[in-house]
Amino acid sequence: MHFLTNIRVGWYLALRQVRRASVWTNTLIVFVMLLTFLNLVVVTGVLVGLVQGITNLYREQETGDVLISTLANQTDISHSPDIISFVKSLPQVTDLSARYVVGGTIEANYQTPPAPGETPNESAASIVGVDPATENAFSHISAFVGEGQYLSAGDYDAVLVGPQLIDRYSFGGDLLPNISALHNVYPGTKVRITVGTTTRVMTVKGILVTTANSPLASKVIMPENELRTLLGRNDYAVNQIAVNVAPGTDTTAFANLLRASGIGADAKVQTAQEAIPAGVAEVEGTFASIGNAIGSIGLVVAAVTIFIVIFINAITRRKFIGILKGIGISGEAIELAYVFQSLMYALVGSAIGLAIVYGFLVPYFGAHPIKLPISDAVIVAPVSGTALRVLLLVVTTAIAGYVPARLIVRKNTLDSILGRN
Amino acid sequence: MAIDVKNLVKSFHDGDRVTRVLKGITLSIDDGSFVAIIGRSGAGKSTFMYQMSLLDEPSEGDVIVEGRSTNEMTNAEETKFRLEKFGYVFQDYALVPELTAVENVALPLLMQGLPRERALADARAALTRVNLEAHLAQLPSQLSGGEQQRVSIARAIAHLPKVLFADEPTANLDRESSDGVMHIFGELHDAGQTIIMVTHELEYAHAAERIIRLDDGVVVSDERVPATERKRYPHPGLQAA
Ligand SMILES: Nc1ncnc2c1ncn2[C@@H]1O[C@H](COP(=O)(O)OP(=O)(O)O)[C@@H](O)[C@H]1O
Ligand SMILES: [Mg+2]
Repeated sequence: MHFLTNIRVGWYLALRQVRRASVWTNTLIVFVMLLTFLNLVVVTGVLVGLVQGITNLYREQETGDVLISTLANQTDISHSPDIISFVKSLPQVTDLSARYVVGGTIEANYQTPPAPGETPNESAASIVGVDPATENAFSHISAFVGEGQYLSAGDYDAVLVGPQLIDRYSFGGDLLPNISALHNVYPGTKVRITVGTTTRVMTVKGILVTTANSPLASKVIMPENELRTLLGRNDYAVNQIAVNVAPGTDTTAFANLLRASGIGADAKVQTAQEAIPAGVAEVEGTFASIGNAIGSIGLVVAAVTIFIVIFINAITRRKFIGILKGIGISGEAIELAYVFQSLMYALVGSAIGLAIVYGFLVPYFGAHPIKLPISDAVIVAPVSGTALRVLLLVVTTAIAGYVPARLIVRKNTLDSILGRN
Repeated sequence: MAIDVKNLVKSFHDGDRVTRVLKGITLSIDDGSFVAIIGRSGAGKSTFMYQMSLLDEPSEGDVIVEGRSTNEMTNAEETKFRLEKFGYVFQDYALVPELTAVENVALPLLMQGLPRERALADARAALTRVNLEAHLAQLPSQLSGGEQQRVSIARAIAHLPKVLFADEPTANLDRESSDGVMHIFGELHDAGQTIIMVTHELEYAHAAERIIRLDDGVVVSDERVPATERKRYPHPGLQAA
């Protein structure tokens, strides 16, 4: 009962103190809270978003929601046609692309023999065979054709080449293992593709222009029948089946379902998250830590701001805090008044922050990702993480308001009234 | 409520130095009386009042209120006592600057657990008693010093305390406002309010029915004011007319 009275009186005081404080004071404090909130949510969100951008690229352009791929000790997926028709028949599946994938090399400028001491203009590449229409429906890859044109089903001798393989696009390409960028390659240029012992001259039909971390970056893509010819593969055993499922489907459960259906014996089944290269997940963790470190600094700044504001407010009012205590207003009620004030600032700041983040930043950068060399960054602000940050800000602020109030309020009542130490 | 003061001593320790400010005071304050405490600056008037009004702990002796020794009260009991039984008017009005007149007066009533509407109604009634019914919604910064002091009197009397303590309530006020405060005290006393007022102005002391003079921590005189010598302060509005 006494506790409730303290809350009531504390709230009565706090509400009016905030309402009748100067507009500038209120604006300034709310602004600091807002910046702290944005710092907490957006900095981490952008850093994680940067990596999430890479993850998204892998999912959209390669793995799909679930990737069925060749077992480590196999060269291809046995019973591929059966698996494909089974997977297609599942109600969750919206889209599927089957690909032939092999390691090979691509060589340009092979007509002019290299000068003595020079190596041929040749690079390792992942050679991929797809059904052009199916693959485009799956990954919208034609949108990334920056020069020349996308493949069509009847193309003969045509290939698409990823940007890491082309010197004018290659982003630190020469630093990557096995990649050495090709010179003077344009649509129409002839290149030599070697897979195993078979070599064939083909024509560049288009050049893909993607960010450096795109899985398409160092690929050579051709229609599947061309690659099958090149490989001398007579059966229809593919290397990769990328599957998209309807939104809202639990991909982990779906992957388990596929494994349980017997596909697990012939192929590796992974969700997008599992299929993405391990390094990406590690970088994501590192970036999140960096974001949290930056956020913590912001939190300290907010705490110090509130501490100073409340401390100055309380110390300049020490005399009448003493008098209020003297006439019987409890110290707890006065302390609560300051805590409530701090909470109001933190909550208003967070509310504005939430509106900015979810009303503007997330949808805006979702639609227009920030184009960075390593990926197209979005802002990742999962609701649970944001709620935790709001809570963190609110708790920090409450403590930062309580401590100075307590320091002043607990002083001897009469000393406060008389201004003695 | 009667207050009995028994052999009250208050000394302050500053390192090895001990200052005895009250040197053994014994007296009784009758219920319903209006007592003025006078004396030179530094005589110990405020110190004496703080001991009687439970704002401070005596070094020796005892203060007995409602038959209870205050030495035996816990801090929480003393706070509750101050909230419910006493009213205080200080030299500084010490109103919360963000609260309007009526909100300032309602605050201790809310602290006593009164519902909000009831607290505001009682606060309005108290402000009416100090002739501030036209200034209920004004902030302290919009009121004159005299008006602010009247708000603080309203705050001190809104809960109908047993005893009203006032330490130099007119020290910061001009003549006219001071007379207004004394008029209110006179009216409150007529209505039965026990008032203990510290002042260094002999003229205002004559509004009381008893004058206790302190000097150097002891009572040097304690006299009733004959009814003929008691000074009445008229309603400031009537005085002007
Ligand atoms: N906390 C204290 N420590 C030391 N001396 C004090 C303290 N409080 C009051 N005094 C001294 O006690 C004396 C009486 O003070 P006070 O009661 O305020 O006098 P008055 O109200 O009559 O002017 C003064 O000399 C003052 O300096
Ligand atoms: Mg004094």
